Amino acid sequence: MTLWASVNDIAQLLTDSTLGTSIRESVYAYPIIEGLHLIGLTFSVGLILFVDLRLLGVFLRNVPVTDVLRPLRPWLLTGFVLTFSTGALLFASDAAKFINLWIFPLKIVFIALAGINALWFESRWGAKAEQWQVFALPKQVKIAAFTSITLWSAVVVAGRLIPYLSYK
Amino acid sequence: MSTLDLFNAIQNSPVSQWIGKQNHLLGAFAELFHIVGLLFVLTSILIVSLRLLGLGLRKQSTAQLVAATSKFIWVGLALLLVSGLILFLPAANNYYPNDIFWLKFKILAIALIVHLTVFRYVTRQANSHAVVAKLTGIAALGLWFGVAFSGRFIGFF
Repeated sequence: MTLWASVNDIAQLLTDSTLGTSIRESVYAYPIIEGLHLIGLTFSVGLILFVDLRLLGVFLRNVPVTDVLRPLRPWLLTGFVLTFSTGALLFASDAAKFINLWIFPLKIVFIALAGINALWFESRWGAKAEQWQVFALPKQVKIAAFTSITLWSAVVVAGRLIPYLSYK
Repeated sequence: MSTLDLFNAIQNSPVSQWIGKQNHLLGAFAELFHIVGLLFVLTSILIVSLRLLGLGLRKQSTAQLVAATSKFIWVGLALLLVSGLILFLPAANNYYPNDIFWLKFKILAIALIVHLTVFRYVTRQANSHAVVAKLTGIAALGLWFGVAFSGRFIGFF
């Protein structure tokens, strides 16, 4: 059995599971989870966007970066918990279909790249951010912020395309 | 003229007809820009409301955060309005019988009124009472998230 066949089998098991079936067939569960996915997005991607805009000098440019980054971190991480858990439930509702759409794995790749970019930023700059002057940020930091906005935008675009490519 | 007649007239207007004839990708782009606008507005409201609740960016005053986020709110609302009209105009009659559509706009009307009155007043005070600030933050978050949540529901009913 090839790896892809087993991935398909697992996705089919998930789709046929009680969880997947009940989400797919409930009148309210699916839209409620979609709504929470959207609200999670304003905490996760939304707050990340504003942190990136601070790094680019567009939002709260007179405030030290750490004073924006640190207090928002628990909120945006909570947002990611909500976005990912509701995303996992939406995935479970029709997993076998989603993994066979080209856009879905692409969305996961964009999420992974955005995550790697964030981890790289944390490990490279996390401890040094304290020393930054309010205005003079290293150029690499601006590049990381720009990359973050680009990748999260790609995630949202890919996510929005999923229903378009699902019901053709 | 009944509301239904009005919606009929909207859908049959030259502008609506013109939008309806464009490539269906226009609708997909409008939905994307609707999400971008929503992120600008809701995350701005979130940042200010968390501050009203004594959370989040506590080192800055509420007034500072209002000043820093207001341009994003207005850009976001403009994006939402334009993209929303692109989605609504060519399909007005489809929305007319949808209860959730009407609910969304009732919540939006209340959200805008609260935003331009109580929220505006409280966030510009140097020292508003903690309870007043917290209630305002909760109301703003509840109303704006309510708009987004009900908006997401429209397509399912």
